[in-house]
Amino acid sequence: MEAAAISASHVHDDHHHGPPPANRSSRVEPALLGMLLFIISEIMVFGAFFTAYFFIRVVADEGTWFPVDGKDLPKLIAGVNTAILISSSFTLHWAENALKLGNRRAFRAGMVATFLLGATFLFVQINEYVHIGFSPQDHAYGTVFYGLTGLHGAHVTIGLVLLGMVTIRAFRGHFSAEEHRGVEVPGIYWHFVDVMWIVVYTTVYIL
Amino acid sequence: MVAFGVIASVIGIAIGLAIDWFPVQGSTQGEKIDTFWDVLIICSVPFFVLVVTVVLFAVRDFRMRPGQENLDGPPIHGNTKLEVVWTAVPAMLLVGLCTYAYIVLDDIEKAPAKGPERVVKVTGEQFTWTFEYNEGGKKFKTAQLYVPNGESVKFDVGSKDVIHDFWVPAWRMKIDAVPGITTTYRITPKRLGNYPVVCAELCGLGHAFMRQTAHVLDKAAFDRWVQQQVQRTAGGGAAAGGAAGGGGQSASADAKALFTTGNSAGATACGGCHTLAEAGTTGAVGPNLDQVLKGKDEAFIRESIVDPKAEIAKGFPDAMPTNYGDALSGPELDALVKYLAEVSK
Amino acid sequence: MSVKLRNPGWYRAGLYVVLAAVLAFGLSWAVRAAYGHDTYAHFLDAESIVIIGMIALPLAFLVGIGCFDYWFYWASGRPTRPEDHSGHGAHSWRDYFRPNTDHKVIGIQYTVTSFFFLFVGGLMAMLMRAELAQPGRQFVDASTFNGLFSVHASVLIFLFIIPVFAGLANFVLPLMIGAPDMGSFASGWTAYAPLSTTAPDGQVFFTIGVQFAGASSIATALNFLVTIITMRAPGMSFFRMPLLAWANFSTSLLVVIATPFIAASQFFVLLDWALGFNFFNAAKGGDVLMYQHVFWFYSHPAVYIMMLPGFGIISEVLAVKARKPIFGYRMMAFSLLAIVVLGFTVWAHHMFVSGMQAWIRIPMMVTTAIIAVPTGIKIFSWLATLWRGVLHLDTPMLFALGFLTMFTLGGISGVMLAMVPLDIHVSDTYFIVAHIHYVLFGGSLFTIFAGVYYWFPKMTGRMYDERLGRIHFWSTLIFFNATFAPMHLIGVQGMPRRVADYADQFAGWNLAISLASFALGLSTLVFAYNMIASWRGGARASANPWRALTLEWQVSSPPPVFNFDQVPTVVGGPYEYGVPGAVHGIFGPAKPAEVKATPAGTHAEPVRE
Ligand code: HEA
Ligand code: HEA
Ligand code: HEC
Ligand code: CUA
Ligand SMILES: [Cu+2]
Repeated sequence: MEAAAISASHVHDDHHHGPPPANRSSRVEPALLGMLLFIISEIMVFGAFFTAYFFIRVVADEGTWFPVDGKDLPKLIAGVNTAILISSSFTLHWAENALKLGNRRAFRAGMVATFLLGATFLFVQINEYVHIGFSPQDHAYGTVFYGLTGLHGAHVTIGLVLLGMVTIRAFRGHFSAEEHRGVEVPGIYWHFVDVMWIVVYTTVYIL
Repeated sequence: MVAFGVIASVIGIAIGLAIDWFPVQGSTQGEKIDTFWDVLIICSVPFFVLVVTVVLFAVRDFRMRPGQENLDGPPIHGNTKLEVVWTAVPAMLLVGLCTYAYIVLDDIEKAPAKGPERVVKVTGEQFTWTFEYNEGGKKFKTAQLYVPNGESVKFDVGSKDVIHDFWVPAWRMKIDAVPGITTTYRITPKRLGNYPVVCAELCGLGHAFMRQTAHVLDKAAFDRWVQQQVQRTAGGGAAAGGAAGGGGQSASADAKALFTTGNSAGATACGGCHTLAEAGTTGAVGPNLDQVLKGKDEAFIRESIVDPKAEIAKGFPDAMPTNYGDALSGPELDALVKYLAEVSK
Repeated sequence: MSVKLRNPGWYRAGLYVVLAAVLAFGLSWAVRAAYGHDTYAHFLDAESIVIIGMIALPLAFLVGIGCFDYWFYWASGRPTRPEDHSGHGAHSWRDYFRPNTDHKVIGIQYTVTSFFFLFVGGLMAMLMRAELAQPGRQFVDASTFNGLFSVHASVLIFLFIIPVFAGLANFVLPLMIGAPDMGSFASGWTAYAPLSTTAPDGQVFFTIGVQFAGASSIATALNFLVTIITMRAPGMSFFRMPLLAWANFSTSLLVVIATPFIAASQFFVLLDWALGFNFFNAAKGGDVLMYQHVFWFYSHPAVYIMMLPGFGIISEVLAVKARKPIFGYRMMAFSLLAIVVLGFTVWAHHMFVSGMQAWIRIPMMVTTAIIAVPTGIKIFSWLATLWRGVLHLDTPMLFALGFLTMFTLGGISGVMLAMVPLDIHVSDTYFIVAHIHYVLFGGSLFTIFAGVYYWFPKMTGRMYDERLGRIHFWSTLIFFNATFAPMHLIGVQGMPRRVADYADQFAGWNLAISLASFALGLSTLVFAYNMIASWRGGARASANPWRALTLEWQVSSPPPVFNFDQVPTVVGGPYEYGVPGAVHGIFGPAKPAEVKATPAGTHAEPVRE
């Protein structure tokens, strides 16, 4: 990612002593490629947690799952929460489009909306933890439930920090119709977090 | 070069087959595995010889000689036929080996064709094995493994704490003892004698010392042994047996036997872990009892045995089994404590 | 002072570490207070503070020293400070002790540090061998011994082999593919649960350490992938890349896909250990075998992470030293990818006796055996590369030939292990230990020695001492075999691994092994002496002492700070030895026409006999 910056900086000041600009041997932006590869590796992290989940749910205990000890998962609330998170993906997309069309107001509004939706999701999730009535120490089901949703929650938090930064920069007048990498790359991450949640929600709550 | 390679392969295979690789062969399963090994040697030695031979001959024939410093070799980029051959030949060989391996595996894991099979329950715990029998409806536990020669026996293996691995090298079979599940294998012993039982999975500090003995007896001797065990157990519950049966005449002889070999109710031999001159043991997992018990009273010794966690001896791991309170009967414990107090004075 | 504290460097790192410690402590104190736990009456033995500290402090250190500055500037939209290239290059040996942004300096730092860990890990092996020289207890007790082999393996795997390959690649790769710098994208080692979840505090160091090593190797791998994909020189198509670049490409794919699994497996252990979670607690419905599945799903690919870069090195050395093109270049590249793919399908061969579902053993046996096919393609192609060449038998070449033979032996014992009925008997014995060292020492380490000797002139600008190099090779080859070959035998005879004490019947062999291993250790000292002495006072190396074609040899030794004044243009394959007038890359301004045309005459019709 720095490579791009190095070559860019050298375009600007030629007198600076430094390496020659790198040849760009691929049409893919290094930043974008890096993020995509990073997401592959993130998918594998989730993969490992899903492996744990399937072992405990299917292999160790022949397919029993919640309700355990009379406590069930709040499918409905989590479902609504899912809708909230998914809609944030749409608002984000909308914001990006607006930026590309040069509509800064819509861009800012979209970013704020996305951020708030994401924060709401996180808040509801924490609230769910508080009221759910079992802990990861109680049994292995609790462990994998908290494990998967917690891992996802951590990703939402990271995503929110990134989005927060983008939002602040949006209000400071950064980014433009031409220069929008800084929105797109965190955006990809956020979409990934959303898609991952759909998978988590379906397997953990519904199936 | 080809001649050299063939001769070297033959010699290599001959050496490979001549080496006495395995420990004594104590089970019918062992026969098949040992034969399988021979086949593997025959198939793999030629590949190793091939690689070494080509390297040696290349070094002999193509090494740079004075005056060739700036020469290059011919620009050969590949040869499709050759590449197909060296892909296909190993692939076919490997598929063949896998098929054979599958047949062997199936063979050694098959249930015997006729008759009910003896099942022995094996339980591992840090750092000892316990064996549970069910002979004609009579159940009992022992610290040593006894099986009759020539009869298939199935082991149901489990663990109380961490993963162990139940292995008798002479029988060739091993399987992990995993907490929470039961694993199994079966063997048919075919040779009388005593063989070490080894824990083959790292299970903590006493792992290297988690050893017991498997005794293969002929049928008659085995039946006698079962009779004895049944009587002992009948004498007064799993734990009370030893002292009640012995009548307590020679308490110190009994205690010494306890110390060196454990009892049948699941108490492991103390001598496996502790050095005690009087009993002739040299274990080193736990403290040297000759030294540490000097001047200690019976109460201390009793507590150390029944509740070893109460006070961990300095410089030693918390590795002593905690089941002696249950596994030793009251009289056994008394005798042991008394014996230790006396010999360590 | 306050400027020093604001700018990246040691001072700021120190400050941030202190701040992080205060913050971490405060945070965990507040959380505990909120939940009504006792708030660290005896706070020194509070586990959570140890854990939080171990995660927070290294991070704070990295931030402080400036690792992420670029990113913070980038993310906040401030002008990424035009990179201060004074940080490039090293002018005296002191510069190797400073944070640096030059891929070559980083490469050397990595390599040298890793070799330090070879000696640490090796010294532990010496202690183990001293203990094992006789049955009974000699020097160390069971707990020390268990610690020794666990740390021996972890240090050598995670702190030596993997980073040293990364170090060599960091140095060579950008040069090789014509990039001006890296993308600068800026209990037992198996630690089986539940043994590890009930173990004392030391365990947690392993666990967290692996997480950091994992995160940094993912970062390095992403870096390699991005560099290889987006920064190749003009004309450097994928099939004109040196095989080392292919090897690192494949390895990096493995890292990106597999490493998250080990991070997760250690995370599970951590949660169970510190917070009472139940991943592996069978009593509460957890699953013990799951740890092994997750662990080996990473750790089998990891053994190829430790081998594929070595395959790359050998391809470079053999082609140059045999003065012939690599035989079957394309199959060489494809077999790397085949190994990557197959590598993900074989993990359960480490679990044949673990009590998992019995049927899994059969497909895993087949896939494992099949891996010998692409590996065999590589071995045979190297042999064919030797054939009819002009072999320069100097130290790098000797190690390459040693690798060919020793790795084959280790690979073959691997294929034997893949055969379930045999593995049932030899699993967890010294037969495994023999396999491990034939592939890791005879395989990876031999390639590393070959690579270090080969690139030594390029890295340091000086020649190593050839005579010492040969002594090193022959003593290593002999004592390596004397140490590890007998382990096959005692393993099959029934000596289990990971024990500090053993039955008397193995005493003779173990004594012999221990003696040989000390000699092996001494032979490593020859290497160390050669490296240090030659670096300080060796003869000056010319730019291209081996008459190699790949790009890194076309620049001065050591290379100029910015690698190239102008990015070279690649016009042919990397190994066209013997092709009259062949060039791999040309320097100077690239004319578009030259990029496309296959220069006539430089490229004899490739012979495929
Ligand atoms: C660099 C590291 C490395 C490499 C490359 C390999 C390569 C291979 N390994 Fe190894 N392995 C380890 C490192 C490595 N291993 C380690 C560290 C362990 C122990 C882990 C632990 O428990 O601590 C282990 C354990 C291990 C086991 C588990 C044993 C057990 O615990 O019970 C098995 C079982 O299948 C195995 C198999 C193989 C196979 C089939 C290959 C193949 O890739 C080899 C392929 C190569 C060849 C076969 C040679 C060249 C080919 C030819 C010349 C063609 C013709 C050959 C034939 C037809 C045979 N290995
Ligand atoms: C890259 C990997 C690598 C390397 C290079 C080595 C190198 C060596 N290894 Fe290691 N080893 C492993 C990876 C490696 N090992 C792994 C993965 C395991 C499995 C662990 C487990 O079970 O969890 C293992 C396990 C293992 C065991 C089995 C332990 C057990 O199961 O109980 C033994 C026993 O002999 C051993 C010995 C050696 C020796 C003698 C060397 C020698 O080659 C070392 C030579 C180098 C030096 C000695 C350093 C340089 C010299 C000096 C510092 C000078 C001082 C010298 C003298 C005092 C003479 N190793
Ligand atoms: C698996 C190994 C093992 C076995 C079997 C074992 N011990 Fe121990 N023992 C230890 C270890 C390790 C310690 C030190 C740690 C501790 O104090 O708990 C110890 C401590 C002791 C102590 C206390 C010593 C002191 O100074 O505090 C006594 C007494 C003792 N054992 C007696 C016995 C007797 C009697 C038996 C058999 C009935 C026995 N042990 C069986 C491993 C073992
Ligand atoms: Cu029990 Cu090792
Ligand atoms: Cu493997």
